[in-house]
Amino acid sequence: MIRNSLRALALMALAAGVALGSLPAAAQTRKIVLGYELPLSGDSSHYGEVFRNAADLMLEDFKASGGLPGADIVIRYEDSKNDAREARNIAQMFVDDKSVVGVLGDFSSTVSMAVGEIYAKAGMPQLSQTASHPDFIKISKWQFRNVTTQAYEGPFNAAWMREQGHAKVAVVAIQNDWGLSAAESFANAFKAKGGSITSIEYFNPGVRDFRSILTKINRAAPDGIYLCMFYEEGASFLEQRQQLRVAAPVFAASSLYNEQLLQLAGSAVDGLMLSSTFVPTNPDPRVQSFVTRYTEKYGQTPSQFAGQAFDAVGIVLAAIKKVGPTVTRDTLRDALAGTADYPGVTGVTTFDPQTREPAKTLARMIVTNGKYSVIR
Amino acid sequence: MIDIYFVQQIINGLSIGLVYALIAIGFTLIFGVLNVVNFAHGEVYTIGAFAGLMLITWIAPPVLAIVLMVLAAGAFVGIGLERLAFRPFRRFRDEASLKSRAMREATLLSSLAVSITAREVMNLAFGSQMQTIPHAYLLQRPIVFGQLSITVGDLVIFVASALMLASLQFMLFRTRIGLSIRAVSNSPLGARYVGIDTDRAIVATFAIGSMLGAAAGILVGLYDGMITPQMGFAPGIKAFVAMVMGGLSSIPGAVICALILGVSESVATEFLASGWKDLVSYSFLIVTLVFFPQGLFGVGRERA
Repeated sequence: MIRNSLRALALMALAAGVALGSLPAAAQTRKIVLGYELPLSGDSSHYGEVFRNAADLMLEDFKASGGLPGADIVIRYEDSKNDAREARNIAQMFVDDKSVVGVLGDFSSTVSMAVGEIYAKAGMPQLSQTASHPDFIKISKWQFRNVTTQAYEGPFNAAWMREQGHAKVAVVAIQNDWGLSAAESFANAFKAKGGSITSIEYFNPGVRDFRSILTKINRAAPDGIYLCMFYEEGASFLEQRQQLRVAAPVFAASSLYNEQLLQLAGSAVDGLMLSSTFVPTNPDPRVQSFVTRYTEKYGQTPSQFAGQAFDAVGIVLAAIKKVGPTVTRDTLRDALAGTADYPGVTGVTTFDPQTREPAKTLARMIVTNGKYSVIR
Repeated sequence: MIDIYFVQQIINGLSIGLVYALIAIGFTLIFGVLNVVNFAHGEVYTIGAFAGLMLITWIAPPVLAIVLMVLAAGAFVGIGLERLAFRPFRRFRDEASLKSRAMREATLLSSLAVSITAREVMNLAFGSQMQTIPHAYLLQRPIVFGQLSITVGDLVIFVASALMLASLQFMLFRTRIGLSIRAVSNSPLGARYVGIDTDRAIVATFAIGSMLGAAAGILVGLYDGMITPQMGFAPGIKAFVAMVMGGLSSIPGAVICALILGVSESVATEFLASGWKDLVSYSFLIVTLVFFPQGLFGVGRERA
């Protein structure tokens, strides 16, 4: 009799001990990891560095404003070298790590789409700050982006050029998924508005010599040139255009918008017109605070790429905060899909509930005397 | 009536070709003598450009002085490279090692390792952004002939290539060190038997080849106006193609083939989308390897 009650007492003590033991575990803060795949080495590493800078800044802000009680959020950066194979390995690693609830990246549309399939299959939400190829977001319901696509920007620029009276335009585009979509969306929109395209010239990434393309354009004598490329090539292109005395005015997609372009191209860049979402001189207090702090911490004015990354991380953190410390990959995806009126430095961003495409406003800019300024 | 745009394309092609030729000269020298591909040559080129940029920012001497100082820096780098990546594989003196091909081919990977390390160190040290060269030094002023235009840089590179070629030929055929280099190139074992200091000849080859590579780097940097740690890779590959086309040990052959490559790339833009430009160079490589394994100008050499 006593033995039975002793045994019962012992069992109850054991049960109580186990219950008490698990309590501290429940009260521990959960470690939430955001994976960030970006190019930290190789040709596109200067973009990766900028993304990381902006992401660190946003995470600091998030923690300074209280963060998420009950959870400790960290960002894990992995170098994808802007290479699809490397990125796939990284994607698999993120998917296998249970503490990763969401992934940011990658830089180029090509790489982002290559890893998109892995994330789609594994059910991991992926938000890219710069992949603007139209097909990226169609991979599955797990893909998001906060950059307006060329499908939106191409027609915007086409309308602008037609307004300015250009009727015959040559397009020069970088040969990758992004460049192809940018060139085609511009060309189709331009032709739909009654203009004609003399030719679309593609060049391989890494090329610095555009003189053969420029000579070919010179022969066709268009009254305008549209560029779908980045500032490294853009600077060389503009200088060589000046050297070969090609007179047609140049317009460009927002990818060319970068402070470095002004330094590299010198006087050749005057008169360039381009569209942009992020303008550092925007008087909006959020933009100014971002610009000031970024410049203080990293010693350079943030480009729109920095702004994009800053907003991308901000959107994901806001979605996590909305769900709470028990966030999972599924709940994060749903929260991201519901992003509406997020006050970003690249514009107020809303994800379309059907297509998940972001809606933002674009500005028209021109370069005069080596400085960017907004044209109304 | 000559199509003026076509002529401009040919001029563009010649200037691209001259840049490839500049790099191919140093590269072919090292390969011709030692039978080893020096993958780090592209990085010596980049180091030359960055050394030039640093000199411009610190001391700001005239252009000619910069080129001379970069030549010195290049020689220094070349000697260091040889000591680091190539000499350790020559340390054994027994007969089997002296005749071993595996030892030689291991240097392919060691030079690749040095090139990757050097590139990433430069990335860390300078950041991977494009660096500009101050405007005062640039060689980009255009010279206009009616409807055609070239830049001052094109002429400078042309003169530099011609000078390099001429001085190299002079050195190889009229000096003692040139004689020992040619001896080592012909047969390293034989040269050693005859009493020539092969180590000294090899170090000299690297020093000279790297000097030329570094000079190429700074000249192209001044011509382009911007440099980046990644700049050495693509021209290095084209120089390799030019070398193979020209016959592996013929320096004038490599130069001529580099010009041919440049012009065909430029002219091909007229007919193909320019994204396919590289196809032209690599097709030349395949055609050469299949139909002219000796290269267009090469003489047979014993691949012992």
